[in-house]
This record gives sequence, structure tokens and C-alpha cells, in this order.
Amino acid sequence: MPTFTEIAKATKKKKEIKLVGIDMYIITDTGIPKFDDIGPFKCEFISNRGTKVWPGFVSPDLLQVNWYRCRFTATKDVQDADVNTFLDALTKKGWWWSAAQKLWTYDGEPGYSKAY
Amino acid sequence: MGTQHVITMLPGEGTGPEICEAVRLIIDASGVNIKWEYEDIGLDCLEKHGTLLPDKTIQNIAKNKVAIKGPTTTPVGTGHKSANVTLRKVFDLYANVRPAKLIPVLKRPWDKIDIINFRENTEDSYAAIEHMVSDEVAQCLKVITWPGSYRIADFAFKWAKANGRKKIYCVHKANIMKMTDGLFLDAFREVAQKYPDIESGDIIVDNCCMQLVRNPAQFDCLVLPNLYGDILTDLCAGLVGGLGFAPGANVGDGCAIFEAVHGSAPKYAGMKKVNPSAVLISGIMMLRWLKEEAAADRIEKAMFAVLDERKHVTYDVGGTATTDEYAQAIVDKMHAKA
Repeated sequence: MPTFTEIAKATKKKKEIKLVGIDMYIITDTGIPKFDDIGPFKCEFISNRGTKVWPGFVSPDLLQVNWYRCRFTATKDVQDADVNTFLDALTKKGWWWSAAQKLWTYDGEPGYSKAY
Repeated sequence: MGTQHVITMLPGEGTGPEICEAVRLIIDASGVNIKWEYEDIGLDCLEKHGTLLPDKTIQNIAKNKVAIKGPTTTPVGTGHKSANVTLRKVFDLYANVRPAKLIPVLKRPWDKIDIINFRENTEDSYAAIEHMVSDEVAQCLKVITWPGSYRIADFAFKWAKANGRKKIYCVHKANIMKMTDGLFLDAFREVAQKYPDIESGDIIVDNCCMQLVRNPAQFDCLVLPNLYGDILTDLCAGLVGGLGFAPGANVGDGCAIFEAVHGSAPKYAGMKKVNPSAVLISGIMMLRWLKEEAAADRIEKAMFAVLDERKHVTYDVGGTATTDEYAQAIVDKMHAKA
């Protein structure tokens, strides 16, 4: 077995991180959710099992489960406190959700995938 | 001429158009009555339509319900989403059927390989849910659902029953991923109870890989989640002669798209030297799907005969024939046998 006298350390470059939205994972048995704007957040798309189900064409054969990813994007500069307000408002509207994932850009590049 | 079938032809890019023309020549010569409707897909149509998969293409496939597709290129790492994956998602083509059958004339170290892989095609880590959750951590969600797992298992058992297959194994890693792969395995086991005449079992994915290269004849049908299916079906293709002979069908409840699984080989584009067999065998699968068994049998026998003679075969199997010469040899062989 070779021995290593120097252990490489991963390099890290600090990036500028900006909050631009939230992916909400909503559980509902009543079909594709519909949302009005909530504060500075606007629903951009909804996907189910990774496939976009709103807006646009949806195959009538598409299998959907009761767990939707709903992407909300910020229409102005937002802070973490705006996310807390958003989550409160969403919960008060009766939506049951399993998780929320903040969406950030890193040096202006999206740190999140789109839906198919 | 029998019933006319209207089929969407998606030539794709790179070598795709020349391969698809060769395949069309052969299928048209088989006596089947097909009206082909050509539509764009892939990188070549990005400039023309601003997308890898134009709406017009989607609408045509939705109308015809059956399509055959040449290879397309998927950008790695960044850029546009894969046109292939998008097609599977949009039409919910949840069953990727990938037969791996030994072609007699291709010398391989095994006497028999005849495996049908049923790869779940829409879930798993292909759900496109990825995030940079900090500046040094990337995360991809592996999404496995009960209905998605149940229907691929049921599809596999139905296919097996209809085609006289005897044994189905579920491939998984449920010893480690107890929730996700555990759910996939649970659904498989529940479905298996409905088909007592078909032997069923399960095997851990790493062991399955080892068993496949040691003794592939022991396997009949495999049901796999998306990622393991992606990898193991290529492994199976390698066992029987490589991706040049690996067909595939993407099937949903309302639509089926037949395609080769190899890439578009852009460096060979326009040279007419590549082997069109993978798309051709996919076309044979398509003809069987359309209940055109006689035409499918004619093409298959002629293709085997041309491969066996080795006079008009492409470079990858030791010949010097062009794509068109190979296709014409198959057509001539069909007519000679008629």
C-alpha cells in the first residue's frame, strides 16, 4: 500500500449567494394545486414526479402522485425573513407541505434544476 | 397492402438521419403499409425551433401514438434537458423495454443470452430534482413511488405472460436504500402474487452485475428502477455485441416510441458508414407492437442472413459496406426469399 505524506484538500472559492425563490413540496389529493401570488413570491411551475404539470401540455396518461413540487420565484429582492412569512401564509391557506427548499443563485448561476 | 399505420419518424441528429433512411428503406420493402410523418428532435433543431423538442413534434406523436427515433445528443453537465428524457416524461413512457438477445453470427463467449430488461423510465434520480443546498453540497432527490413501481412490475409480468417468459427478478439495493428501493421491491412482490405461474425473485444490483458477466444465461426478465436499469441494460448490450445491436422501446399506456440506445456519433455524420442495426431491431420491435409479425420476421431473417454472409456488413462487424449497402443487402435478401 502506498503511503501519502500530503493529503490533498479540496479547493473552495467563495461565491456570491442570492436567495431567489423556494421549492415547496405540497401534499394534496385534490389534483394540481393553484396559487395566487403570496407576498413577493409567484408560482412559476408545478411538477409531479419531476414532470411539469403546470403550466402547459400535460399528457392525459401522466401518472401523478399526491406530492407536488411547486416552484415559487421572487419578483423582487427577498430575504430569509420573507420565506418565513411565505411559509406562514401558505400554511394558513390550508396547504400541507412536506418540505421547503430555498433556491439560491451562486455567482448568478442557478443552484437548482428545472422540471422536464 | 394491409392496414396503413401512420408513424412519426424522428431522425434525430448526427448519424441519425442516414440510419433512419436505411431503416425506412428496409421496413418499406418488408411489405408493411406505413405512412411516415417526419418531425424534428435534438440539437440540430435547437437553432431552428429554440428547443430540443418542439411542440409540433409533441403534437404529432400525441396524434400517431407510435414513433421511431434515431439517436440524439444529450449535453453533459450544463445546457438543455435531454430530449429523450423529456419525451419519456411528457408521454409518461414508463416502461423502457430493452431486450438483450445473442445474435448467432456475432461470436460471443456465451451460448445463450435472452434477457428482457424492464427499466422504470420516469422516476428515481431522473426526476430532475436537484439543488445546490450550499455552496459545496449538491443534492439530487431519488423519487420512487408506489404507483410508479407497481405499474412497471405489472407491465413486466403482463409482457412476460404474453410472451411465454418464465422468470422475473427485481433488481434493487434495498439492503442500503431501505425506503426507496424497499418500496420498489415491496410493489414488485405484491404484483408477483397476481402471477403465480411466473417464477419471481429479487437480486441486489451489484450481485446482479457480477452474475450477468459470469453466467448471463440464468436470467430471463429483469425489472429495475431507472438508474440501475440505465446501467445494466448497457451492460447487457455489451454481452450480446454492443450498442450497435441494442434496441429499445419506451412504452406508456397511450404511446410507444422505439429507439436505438446508442449515441448520435456526430464524427461519422454524413459518412454513411455506421451500423443501423440497433434502430432496425427497434423497428422490428415496433412492427411486432403493430401486430405486423410477418414483416418483422422477414426483416429479422434477412438481417441475420446478411450478417451471417459477412459480405455486406459495416466496419464495426468487420466489413466495409456502407450503411446504404448493408440496408440494400437486407432488402435484396428479403426479395430473394419472397
